Amino acid sequence: MTPAPDSDQSPVNRARFDQQSADQQQNSDSGPFRKSIFHDSGFRWWHEVAVFVLLVLVLMVAQELVPGFLNPRSQLLLSRHVWEMALISLGMMLIIITAGIDLSVGSTMGLCAVAFGVSFEMTSSILLSCLFCVLTGFGCGALNGALISRWRLHPLIVTLATYAAYRGIAEGWSQGHSWSGFGASFSQLSRGRLLGIPYPGLTFFALTVIAAIVLWKTPAGKHLSAMGYNEKAARFSGIRVDLNRFLLFCISGTLSGLAAVFYVARFDTAKADAGEGFELDAITAVVAGGTSIFGGRGNVIGTILGLLLIHETRQFVGRYWGIEELKSIFVGGLLISFVLIYQFLRPSGQRV
Amino acid sequence: MTVRVFSSLRRIFPAVIGLLMLAGCQDSGSSSTGSQDAVAGDAESDSESADAPSSRSGKIRICLLPKIKGISYFSSCFNGAREAADELGNVELIYDGPTDGDPRKQAEMIEQWTIEGVDVICVSPNAPDVVANAMKDAREAGIHVITWDADGTPESREFFINQATAQSIGEGMVRAMVSDLGSETEGEVVIISSDATSANQNTWIEAMKPALEKSKLKLATIKYPGENSSNALADAQDVIRKYNQLKGIFGISSVSFPGAAEAVEQSGLNGKVLVTGLSTPNDMKKFVQNGTVKSVILWNTVDLGYLTVYAAESLASGKLKSGAMSLKAGRLGEKQIVGDHVLLGDIIVFTKDNIDHYDF
Repeated sequence: MTPAPDSDQSPVNRARFDQQSADQQQNSDSGPFRKSIFHDSGFRWWHEVAVFVLLVLVLMVAQELVPGFLNPRSQLLLSRHVWEMALISLGMMLIIITAGIDLSVGSTMGLCAVAFGVSFEMTSSILLSCLFCVLTGFGCGALNGALISRWRLHPLIVTLATYAAYRGIAEGWSQGHSWSGFGASFSQLSRGRLLGIPYPGLTFFALTVIAAIVLWKTPAGKHLSAMGYNEKAARFSGIRVDLNRFLLFCISGTLSGLAAVFYVARFDTAKADAGEGFELDAITAVVAGGTSIFGGRGNVIGTILGLLLIHETRQFVGRYWGIEELKSIFVGGLLISFVLIYQFLRPSGQRV
Repeated sequence: MTVRVFSSLRRIFPAVIGLLMLAGCQDSGSSSTGSQDAVAGDAESDSESADAPSSRSGKIRICLLPKIKGISYFSSCFNGAREAADELGNVELIYDGPTDGDPRKQAEMIEQWTIEGVDVICVSPNAPDVVANAMKDAREAGIHVITWDADGTPESREFFINQATAQSIGEGMVRAMVSDLGSETEGEVVIISSDATSANQNTWIEAMKPALEKSKLKLATIKYPGENSSNALADAQDVIRKYNQLKGIFGISSVSFPGAAEAVEQSGLNGKVLVTGLSTPNDMKKFVQNGTVKSVILWNTVDLGYLTVYAAESLASGKLKSGAMSLKAGRLGEKQIVGDHVLLGDIIVFTKDNIDHYDF
């Protein structure tokens, strides 16, 4: 669990060297003006700072227009709406860092929810149903991972296929049926709070800390960025690219299963349409948080900021105008303008 | 030239960010003191009290939550609700709902209104179990919760504004079908419902089954396309292809009824397969005029919205309490309350002769 030694023998440094030389190439190509002061200072957090500023702006406007918007109690209560997406974004971030993508997470949640309902009907045990639900998620992720790493298929194609297939299986298996009546104590799993923070939020923070440690403090984290920067170089440097990729999809599937448990508990309903559209929401949050869709760059702080930005914008629009469909328009508009402004001001070499 | 402008902008950027961050620090500083207060408050009481002052304008804030926003059934309810709010004068009416009929969005909207501390929330739940927790939280926070158009779980609301009893709706539809077909006609009928979780449709189906058993018609199947018109159309086309003894289709939601009528018309079976069910007269006028549909069954939806707002206002101002036997509702006069159901009245059967007199 020690940081990778700072020698040129380390595969990561080699990968980073590739990237740096590519950057330099680009800089010298496009003249002196491309050389930004950001780049010179070596400060690597410009994207996070920019998202943070935008978030603060949104919060300030919201507090001005909706009195009591920033009240921490209501913020924490309404945070219930975001934790399932947050859990999924965590797995998504890890995959996007390796230049992959997982479009099947929402459908996996649907299949997990049905698995939950079916096993509850058979065993009427909440514990077994939760276990089965998470295992189903793991299985879905493992299948994705196996297809992608064993046959070297592109993650986009594989998960696009399983996106359709998992949802189809969920709908066929449940035949439109939905299960509910899991009891008040089970719904406390999503609605109950410790120190004001809902349990799913605590789960998310615990997992985020683990992800942050892995990304920043272990060789495994460096391997993931190396895979994203240059997969071929990573392979030649002895990084077990296929194994890592397989494990990442297992993690993403398991997180979807966990998110499905919270989702079922929150609405006291297990139905095949659980998690519809979550894959795109999660990708939006991750990308808004500064994870490069081309791989290599990304961190948990950015992802949390991206999640917060989307969640707070939705909440503000919902409370100020009270029109449901304005929410998505605003989130979309905000992201486009952010990416455009950032692209315009970005430090050279960093792609959004 | 442009390049130079870009680069100078880049140079200003850190300064701008610095300023904004300063502003941000001040802002988070003030909110963190607020958070300590709130934590202390949290320890004292665990009930989820609302943070906002209970009304911005001194008016009673009533939220009207339809199953799905933008379909003519609920828009006509909203017209009646607006009429009542204007008459009462002391009411701020908030009308919002999901555009896709997703009950989970309903639950999230109830949670948000609870935080805002509105006075009354009137819900037409699309799936009672999904919204029950949110409705119970709202009640614990001291907000009045009633259901209208569709009922929720009993402990989640104080009153249900009931448009017409399930018995009168279910039997009314079967009676209309039997008399339109001729009471001696034998054959199969199908029901095209809404979601499998819709409490309304399910209770109507339970009332229709015994009535159908007494007739010479046989119920072949029930389809659940959800609140989705293209699914309803596809389901109707399926049953037309599959059952060759088909005499009639019941479209028992305002979305599935026009869908079923459309399917019959497209397959050229007007007059051979009869469609009846529940929808607003405006949506069905063209089908009634060309003979695909002979009877449309519904209650007065404008009055339903009107009565809901009157009931909500009476609850908030203390005029209506549990155990009351009647409710004064403006132009509707005294309305009877049975148990915790406020009754609107009976169904209306729209036919070729009277449908043009209604506009909703």
